[in-house]
Amino acid sequence: MAKYFDVIIVGAGPAGSLAALKLARGGANVCLLERGKYPGAKNMFGGLLHNTPVLNEILPDFHERAPLERHVYRKSISFMTPRAAVALDFENETFDKPPFNGYTVFRPAFDMWLAEEAVKAGALLSCECTAEDLIKKDGRIAGVTVKGREGEIRGNIVIAADGVLSFLAKKAGLRQDFKAENMGVGIKLLLGFPEETINERFHLVRDQGADISFLGAMGDMRGGGFLYTNRESISIGLVTHLDSLKASGKAPYEVLNDFLEHPSVKKLVKGGTPLEYSAHLIPEGGYKAIPNLFTGGLMLAGDAAGLCYTNGLNLEGINLAMTSGALAGETAIDALKAGDYSAKILSSYKKKLDESFVMKDMKTFKNAAAMMHLERLFRTYPRILANIMERVYKTDGVPRSKLLRLARKEALKEAGLKGLISDGFKIGRSLL
Amino acid sequence: MNIENLPQMTRFEVDEQPHIIVNKEICRACDHHACVKACPANCYTYDEATQLLSVVYETCLECGTCHIICDKGSLEWNYPRGGYGVCYRLT
Ligand SMILES: Cc1cc2nc3c(=O)[nH]c(=O)nc-3n(C[C@H](O)[C@H](O)[C@H](O)COP(=O)(O)OP(=O)(O)OC[C@H]3O[C@@H](n4cnc5c(N)ncnc54)[C@H](O)[C@@H]3O)c2cc1C
Ligand code: SF4
Ligand code: SF4
Repeated sequence: MAKYFDVIIVGAGPAGSLAALKLARGGANVCLLERGKYPGAKNMFGGLLHNTPVLNEILPDFHERAPLERHVYRKSISFMTPRAAVALDFENETFDKPPFNGYTVFRPAFDMWLAEEAVKAGALLSCECTAEDLIKKDGRIAGVTVKGREGEIRGNIVIAADGVLSFLAKKAGLRQDFKAENMGVGIKLLLGFPEETINERFHLVRDQGADISFLGAMGDMRGGGFLYTNRESISIGLVTHLDSLKASGKAPYEVLNDFLEHPSVKKLVKGGTPLEYSAHLIPEGGYKAIPNLFTGGLMLAGDAAGLCYTNGLNLEGINLAMTSGALAGETAIDALKAGDYSAKILSSYKKKLDESFVMKDMKTFKNAAAMMHLERLFRTYPRILANIMERVYKTDGVPRSKLLRLARKEALKEAGLKGLISDGFKIGRSLL
Repeated sequence: MNIENLPQMTRFEVDEQPHIIVNKEICRACDHHACVKACPANCYTYDEATQLLSVVYETCLECGTCHIICDKGSLEWNYPRGGYGVCYRLT
């Protein structure tokens, strides 16, 4: 393997592969390093590949060629208490027509496909290569060292797309040590079913898919559950903050097992064959936890740059990863043309990100990270909703109240006036 | 789901070299052993009798939870060598 490249990209996830595609098409000599046996071998997510303009632009026919499972047609959110659930269902005709709003995908399949597209464009993919450290020369980053067999690989620019734990960002001094409260862990069980069973259970036809989020029902933990339908399997799992997991003293798989036993979940997953179990971290610190994004000879993209957010309704990361990867690639092309790899020229990467939806959305939901730390969001509010619905429907001879009065009474009982005002303020600032 | 069945569900390319090394002395003095419960793959066991923490790195999912949750600096946590470790097929 040649030891000198225009650009070295570490990590063949969505961020790294889009950067590689952009650069290879721009005529640069790029090398894409991946520690897994193949791209995607180390990667898992909930399941939704969001509609991403940069993917449509770079690979306009990906709908026909990429390994996609189902397009998401039904979106639901379910507020859970240990015995009840209040669900909000959203079906939209426009979600059933191209360009689809999102697809469920398997990461080992999708990531491998995406990396191969970069290879077709001329990038050199090298799997089973773990970048261990950064090489510094003349005050800037000028390559990486690879554990074991490869030794040193040098280049003008390094793009660290090495995912949430980004050891390279740490080694470059671009980020601090992680805080447990800024990190979420997701675990997921893949359950196999015949295609017809999934269609019947979730009221789907053809390759329509469902995406359900669950709030509450995670015991004492701040966290939520997710369910995505694939063609012949269901991805079901949960996400929780690490500080909350630690405080709960529970094992994540025990909480998952309880969740699977919840009456409204049990009927959805009954009879499934366990196919694979996985776990992965999610950066959940939001806008405030974004590290410095570049230094001389180095840019961070995707999860490595903390570009991922959740606000209880959306969980977006893969689209931010691909977009930031492509922008890092574009910036590198400009730098190569100028023959200048300094922090000054790479600072245009930050500008490009700021102008794109990536940083705009991170900013819009900058208060959501704090909102997601409200214990009441996960326990009290689902219970209030369930209690209201129970009072609405239960016929037991107790005189009825009007809805608003009922809601006020339940909310005051559960959260208190002070709690309600303070939470209302935080939730309002995050979402409205 | 029974976590004991993990090796039947998820594929691992086991390296003979462990990628997680625990400092037994630090773990003996640890007041929470949070890694034991928090690990999604049940890799850690604390033996009360011998006061020893052990880790089964062979079925580690490389999620990094223990690396962040351990606040005592007991863990030397690295990625396995290239190609080794967890190898997701579907997911
Ligand atoms: C449980 C869960 C559910 C999620 N659900 C969704 C969802 O539904 N929709 C969504 O949009 N986002 C979701 N996300 C977030 C999304 O998965 C990430 O934001 C996205 O994968 C980030 O892409 P990336 O390319 O930056 O990083 P990654 O996909 O993590 O890729 C990093 C790559 O770098 C490699 N690597 C790391 N270090 C090295 C090294 N030193 N040397 C060589 N290679 C290295 C890794 O093996 C990996 O292939 C979810 C995340 C989790 C954990
Ligand atoms: S690894 Fe850390 S958390 Fe676990 S027992 Fe040792 S010191 Fe405690
Ligand atoms: S990295 Fe994750 S799976 Fe591996 S031992 Fe640590 S907590 Fe367990």
